[in-house]
Amino acid sequence: MNKPTGSEIRVASPLKAWASRFALLLLVGAAFGLMLIGRTNSFLVEETRTAVTDMVTPILDAVSQPVDTFSGVIDQAETLANLQSQNVSLKEQNARLLHWQAVARRLEAENAALRDLNQMVPDPGMRHITARVVGDPGGAFVRSVLINAGERNGVEKGQAATTGAGLAGRVAEVGVRSARVLLVTDINSRIPVAVGDGRERAVLAGDNTNAPQLLYLGPTAQLQVGDQVSTSGHGGVFPPGLPIGVVSAVGETAIRVEPFVDWSHMEVLRIVDYEMSGILDFQSVEAERAERAAAAQEEASR
Amino acid sequence: MSQGVFHRLDGVARNISPFFVTLLLVLMALLPIRVTDFGPIVPAVALIGVFFWSVHRPDLMPIWAVFIIGFVQDLLTGGAWGPGIVGLLVAHALVAWQHRFFLAASFVLIWCVFMLVAAVAMAVTWMFTCMAMMTYIDPEPVFFQFLMTVAIYPCLAWVFLRGQRLFQR
Repeated sequence: MNKPTGSEIRVASPLKAWASRFALLLLVGAAFGLMLIGRTNSFLVEETRTAVTDMVTPILDAVSQPVDTFSGVIDQAETLANLQSQNVSLKEQNARLLHWQAVARRLEAENAALRDLNQMVPDPGMRHITARVVGDPGGAFVRSVLINAGERNGVEKGQAATTGAGLAGRVAEVGVRSARVLLVTDINSRIPVAVGDGRERAVLAGDNTNAPQLLYLGPTAQLQVGDQVSTSGHGGVFPPGLPIGVVSAVGETAIRVEPFVDWSHMEVLRIVDYEMSGILDFQSVEAERAERAAAAQEEASR
Repeated sequence: MSQGVFHRLDGVARNISPFFVTLLLVLMALLPIRVTDFGPIVPAVALIGVFFWSVHRPDLMPIWAVFIIGFVQDLLTGGAWGPGIVGLLVAHALVAWQHRFFLAASFVLIWCVFMLVAAVAMAVTWMFTCMAMMTYIDPEPVFFQFLMTVAIYPCLAWVFLRGQRLFQR
């Protein structure tokens, strides 16, 4: 390459400086444009985002497996350290749970009998899709995770995502092979819930902290620390009764809920496909009942 | 002839590596590392990448690359579009503005300047996120993310420097 002569440099530098300044203004302007598009055209935002997420999910899926293994090793080391105390507490828990199991069985039988007595419409069927958490953006503004299941696995927008402990979030965006789950702690998360024994209705609203708050409680609601919070089923997207957490603080300004989900060990999520169409599609329910009755009769006649 | 082609390919690969390494870092930051309570305070690795190369090799970190990195980051984290881009552009512009200063600066001095630049860039990102989401967002996690980013800067910078020396041999 030819070296520039002195005069070339003199001409080039202000031009270059001007061009770079112009580029900065142009790109900041473009960023503003994107911000505006993001606010006005949510469909485009979602489409673009899911396309990119679909692209990177296979990579994340592959890379996150060794990371999982590594986390597992750390976990194991931690477990080994307090094996004995854990064993004792597990034994206690087991005894307590056995008691609850007996209670649950009795209630289940009673429930079935009462339902039969009242001819109650059965709850729509539930299907579970299990997916691995492959991405966790962290950051200060969003609480969401990426999972390695999407449209082709039957994941749909609005479905509930749970862990063994309780509700973790709701499917917010679905790609072909990936989906984004908005956690209950995210600032945009709003979930209709029922609180305590009185099943007071409220909305659980995230604010990016680990303890979301309860909004729109009735004026007569009496809440205490330790009250259970579960989904109310209002809105028809979530099944009722999914456990979420317990009331952890009742203050003047806010009532906080501590979710059951352990955010730092969320490796697998179960997406609950709550087939609401079961209620709307009455004929199929009736047909199923008739079928069951026919089968029972046949068995009795044998 | 073929040597010439490979030589040129090699040159291209070297020239775009800062851009791709930073993109890769953005991707890696998504990995679910499950250390207790680490989640909310993942360091802003894109900011580190953009700052480092804007200081040491501004020719390899052009402003359009900064824009793309910011956009990919905003897309992947699932937040609003734009605030991350503006934050990175501000960081890049601040470094470009005082570029002469860095020519003879020591590592510790650059680290201190990074602290200032990161503070400004993250404050801008926070402000624009509030604007884009039209709500007030608690800045506390942003502060912790800032501390985490400043703390991890020397480690990443060391890796980048080693990589750069390896390439330039």
